[in-house]
Amino acid sequence: MRTFVAVAIFGGGFVHASLGPALRIADVAPDIPLIAVVLMALRRGPEFGCGAGFVAGLLQDAASGGLLGVQALTKALIGFLIGGLGGRLWVSQPLVQVPGLVLLTVAEGLARFALLKLVRFPAPFGELMTYVILPQALYNGFLGAALVLALTWAESMRERAS
Amino acid sequence: MLLGTVAVVCLLLLTLQLRGYTAGASDALAVVTTPIQSALARINRGAVGVWTTYSDWKNVRAENGRLREEARQLRVQALRVTETIEENHRLRRLLALKQAMPLATLSGEIIAREWGGWVRSLTVNRGRADHVARLTAVIGPDGLIGRIVDVRPGASIVQVLTDPASNVGAHVVRTRTQGIVEGEPRGTLRFKYMARDGGGIQVGDLIVTSGAGGLSPRGIPVGRVHAIDDRGSALFNYAQLTPAVDFARIDEVLLVVGAGAHDVAGLFPAGGS
Repeated sequence: MRTFVAVAIFGGGFVHASLGPALRIADVAPDIPLIAVVLMALRRGPEFGCGAGFVAGLLQDAASGGLLGVQALTKALIGFLIGGLGGRLWVSQPLVQVPGLVLLTVAEGLARFALLKLVRFPAPFGELMTYVILPQALYNGFLGAALVLALTWAESMRERAS
Repeated sequence: MLLGTVAVVCLLLLTLQLRGYTAGASDALAVVTTPIQSALARINRGAVGVWTTYSDWKNVRAENGRLREEARQLRVQALRVTETIEENHRLRRLLALKQAMPLATLSGEIIAREWGGWVRSLTVNRGRADHVARLTAVIGPDGLIGRIVDVRPGASIVQVLTDPASNVGAHVVRTRTQGIVEGEPRGTLRFKYMARDGGGIQVGDLIVTSGAGGLSPRGIPVGRVHAIDDRGSALFNYAQLTPAVDFARIDEVLLVVGAGAHDVAGLFPAGGS
């Protein structure tokens, strides 16, 4: 299990930086570490989600050359939040997964924008929302739902085999 | 409790960085991340090559056995040859530019890309060990790619021109109108200029670096005007640019490590693509 977690956090970060651009659709790339953090937080709870979000975000900050701590904080918050709410949501349904991940991505984007504004990030909010946050949120929603379905299918196959 | 600790650590990190104290933290993380990014970049290229080969193989599957086998082998060979020729062509162009440049340059390979919109950056496999400095200009055979914003032991981060925080001094070749080329969140470039100076700017005009501030040599192509946003009586007008470089397809780059006020416009194809 620890190996899985390490692979999910580190692999998510490195896949995002190295292979993420290959997944671009119309210049929109998914936030793979965010999806990984959400999936882990749903399974392991708020504290684990918070820690996983911190590590994944820190790796993303380091890989992108941005300010260390911005994504670490926003992803830790998202991990904590979704870990706490996970038990109350019917997360196995795609109708919940897609809008859920969309909303989480938007929330993460807003938190990130607020933090970056403190250090005078120059991009205007409207353009960022239109061209970066919302398209990425939609992409994350569908990719995350597909991943959940794939994981559920893989688990059911494994149970059937054992 | 954990969330509080994480928040305090993050805010502390941000505060220290804004005061310029955390180069060591970035370096420590880079020691772990750079080798893995290099390996993943190689695996990525290999996987793309295998996938391309497989796709072409599917197209000749309907032919009879001997021809199919022969066609498959020929296609695989042709793909390898084409790939090699293209790589050879790219490297030759880069070498020609490197040799013609009146400034010292350092060639590098892209090992990772960050393309989320918030940050548009490339990681190049040249770092502190190669004496790369912050704000070093990064160019390709077609023009300016960006500048180094973070130097680590074995790699550096290149802020691409289309990064929302990027801005570069530039001028229009035909009219000499001065301005600033800025990145936009949607991944495009725009040229910001004083309205009173820009009356003559036309679609198709070439924009090159002005060399102001000594951060990059003068005359490196940045892009061509494809639309003009005339804001009437506003102080500034804007021109939308088509970048001279296709940032998504860059594999090799040159880092301009030498200093000097040179005009290098003549080294690029027809003054820009």
